[in-house]
Amino acid sequence: MSHDEIFEKVKALMVDALSVDEDQVTRQARLQADLGAESIDFLDIVFRLEREFGIKIDRNELFPESIFQGDPEFVKDGKVTEKGLAELKAKMPFADLSAFEANPKFDQISDLFTVDLIVRYVASKLNS
Amino acid sequence: MILKDQVAIVTGGSRGIGRAIVTGLAREGARVAFVYRGSEEAAKAVEADIVGRGGIVRAYQGDVADPATAPRIVEAVLAEWGRVDILVNNAGLIRDGLFVRMEPEDWHTVMATNLTGVFHFCKAVAQQMVFKQRSGRIVNISSVAADHHNVGQVNYSASKGAINSLTRALAVELGARGVTVNAVAPGFIETDMTEAVRNKAGDLIKKAIPLKRLGQPEDIAAVVVFLCGPSAGYITGQVITVDGGLSLGAVIG
Repeated sequence: MSHDEIFEKVKALMVDALSVDEDQVTRQARLQADLGAESIDFLDIVFRLEREFGIKIDRNELFPESIFQGDPEFVKDGKVTEKGLAELKAKMPFADLSAFEANPKFDQISDLFTVDLIVRYVASKLNS
Repeated sequence: MILKDQVAIVTGGSRGIGRAIVTGLAREGARVAFVYRGSEEAAKAVEADIVGRGGIVRAYQGDVADPATAPRIVEAVLAEWGRVDILVNNAGLIRDGLFVRMEPEDWHTVMATNLTGVFHFCKAVAQQMVFKQRSGRIVNISSVAADHHNVGQVNYSASKGAINSLTRALAVELGARGVTVNAVAPGFIETDMTEAVRNKAGDLIKKAIPLKRLGQPEDIAAVVVFLCGPSAGYITGQVITVDGGLSLGAVIG
């Protein structure tokens, strides 16, 4: 399945999960800041992705909960630690973390989660 | 009929307050599945009564404390009726006794049914209500004993206090998806469960109730029906006391 095909399915699924308009769901749109996703919505998206693409998403895979929730092992003084960055890279090999690494502020971690990231995640799952 | 065609699940539905809730919801047009544990005869009587009034009802045998019960019954209800709009967690029991003589089993039995049973059923309907329907009403039957304590009810009071906290915490989590979670805290209601205490202190209790009568199961059912109806859509995370004023703590006289 091409990235464009995956995007079209992800878009439809976001419209349903987040009650947003189709034109809001661009590749760059951030789930939380732009599309208003809350924690329960992330779970909803996980379930919908599993159903739509027939994949299994482990609890700490797409949205690594421990980092998200500020686990002191991975987050210190408002920043994601080296260990946290390593964890993010390990859990999200499909994500481009270069910009975030330069200034890994915890409160901006949710900005990493864009529609495009989801598309690339699904592509990596389908190819694995 | 304010609940026409809605689907409701009520635990502990064959007797007492539960029976009145099943009857009240059915009278408002809901299709009601209720759970009973041991009282098969009573359950059949409830079914016959409701069918006789033109209502739609199903009785399911099961112990709410068993983790397998809730998923089994919710799946059966979804298979037949396709949705769950209302969950009323009413099943409850007492194992009263002075604390110094209270056995761990008395504690665990009360917690397993009164509290963990609520957890199991909320869990079993949550995905359906939150992700598939984005709507739902959960009503937990608590007790004034959560905050106003009687001798010999440490286990029961603790279980009901925990239900109140569960109600508020769950309301916070499910609110964004259109699911309200409330509790009703009955005072002294004339049911089998309160028979022993009524025998012992019924007159005294009546004097302590400003409205000067014990509550009837229908007094509780009316509030549950209201909380499940369209007029209560903006109420969530609340514990509504229905006790004739008992918890006001008036001096007897």
